[in-house]
Amino acid sequence: MRRFSTPSDRIILAMFLAAVLTTAGLILVPVLHAIQLSFFTSASFVDEPSWAGLDNYVRILSDGDFWHALRVGVVFAGFAILFQVVLGILFALLLNMPFRGRPLVRGIAVLPYLLPTIVVALTFQWMLDGSFGLFTNWAMSLGFARPAWFETPWAALSMVILVSVWTWTPFVTITFLAALQTVPRSLYEAARVDGANAWYRFWHVTIPALAPVLTVIVLLRSIWMFNKFDIVWLLTKGGPLSATEHLPILAYRRAFTQFDIGGGATIATISFLILSVLIFIYFHFFPLDEKERS
Amino acid sequence: MSLSRSLPSRIGLGAAILLLCAWSFLPIYWMVLSSLRAPSQLFRDPSLVPAWPLSLESYRELLGTTDYLQQFANSVIVALCVVAITLVISIVVAYTITRYRMPGKSMLVSSMLFAYMFPPLLLAIPLLSIFASVGLSDTLLAVIVAHCTLTLPLGIWLFWGFFKSMPFELEEAAMVDGCTRIGAFVSVVLPLSLPGVVTVAIFSFLLSWTDYIFAFVLLSSDDQKTLPVGLASVLGTFDVRWGEVMAGATLIALPLFVMFVFLSRYFIQGLAAGATKG
Repeated sequence: MRRFSTPSDRIILAMFLAAVLTTAGLILVPVLHAIQLSFFTSASFVDEPSWAGLDNYVRILSDGDFWHALRVGVVFAGFAILFQVVLGILFALLLNMPFRGRPLVRGIAVLPYLLPTIVVALTFQWMLDGSFGLFTNWAMSLGFARPAWFETPWAALSMVILVSVWTWTPFVTITFLAALQTVPRSLYEAARVDGANAWYRFWHVTIPALAPVLTVIVLLRSIWMFNKFDIVWLLTKGGPLSATEHLPILAYRRAFTQFDIGGGATIATISFLILSVLIFIYFHFFPLDEKERS
Repeated sequence: MSLSRSLPSRIGLGAAILLLCAWSFLPIYWMVLSSLRAPSQLFRDPSLVPAWPLSLESYRELLGTTDYLQQFANSVIVALCVVAITLVISIVVAYTITRYRMPGKSMLVSSMLFAYMFPPLLLAIPLLSIFASVGLSDTLLAVIVAHCTLTLPLGIWLFWGFFKSMPFELEEAAMVDGCTRIGAFVSVVLPLSLPGVVTVAIFSFLLSWTDYIFAFVLLSSDDQKTLPVGLASVLGTFDVRWGEVMAGATLIALPLFVMFVFLSRYFIQGLAAGATKG
């Protein structure tokens, strides 16, 4: 550790300050601006906004659409995370077993996570196309009626959850698989000597040893799934009948299709607050100092 | 664990592996297969087996009749600028905070992690308002700046980890030999942190290349659009030509697959560190 003393040090300091100010500006300015916009009303991004005080907050919080969107978000995120975690752990356990061709299978298991959301959304829309989709064909050749994948509220929500699970399960798989390598082998040996079966070893050795990692996974998934905009927007645009309209979509609609920029910014700010609570929980359980030591 | 298993458990394991592969790979396979099927066959032939010869007609149509090439170029320009800006700024910041005494260091690092968790849409709304007021909306520059809000926190965070674990004695030795601090950094630290540079470059590229939200909110004219937004705009149209759409989707995914095959070590490293946002 040193001080900025030589000329070379001072050049570094100047570059550092410029870089930090750029970064801070890029991130802080939009956040502060969103909060600022939430106290004004304006009908477009070029209009002169007029001061509204807390009106936007009162209006949004007494709006049924807001609470509906919050509920949709919780259901969507909750189920998506549940299935991602269960499936991800199963995949990780499977990929941790020794078998021929394991590196290849591990690679295949990661692929969905690398795909851009737009590719995932378009591919599933094609597979679930009401007339010619692959899954539609399969369902009909099994004797089912033509399925309405996106037409009823529950079906649409289920499809959005299914596609989210497909795309983001590899995150859980990779993280859990990496963590599995850190469980001391001796714990398993000891359990085996005691006559514990595989199921018992999983619940009483693997899960307790990996509880911190599992908490990180669930928190990060919650932070990201709760605010997922693109996959939902691309698949359903929030429909049918706003069955899949969660907070990000509501914020977007308010700001861009109903020209209520104050309202959209207010929903964004409230989402920031909800998100910050989750992130503070994360930092509370996993302070940076601990990471520094490891 | 031994490799010799009983027959039933081997069959069970094999079946489970097959299921996993089918689950992960079927949509990707179907996308590529659909893009290589003649458009006239696309709606008639729902089989999983490709019919020979494969047809490139969808690709020809896509490249010939849409702005795809222009949008491909836009995406490449944006992604390369984002990678360059991210590398320079995050190396400077991360190196300085690991090597110098200064106040507020851990706050800076944790606020990077905090910023990295922000959802893009919440930043996109105020960013559009800012860009509109300075006359930058609907330009690639706006998208480049917006993507940096995703990649800078990640880059600083990852480089901070790399530089922290690199022994300080290496540069001290070079400086005793008469190098300046900057000279020591360029000749000693930078070559050693090449894996870090590659990882940050890959993931900045990935975040920028795959981004839909920022480009969707910030861009409106067809010739400024990046690939994801350009391709998405066919969706609203009546009578979607799925062959072309799947060809477009395959071409977006292709560079990522190629990178994954050749740089998989860095990918797995970065993925395990949570380097894609999503």
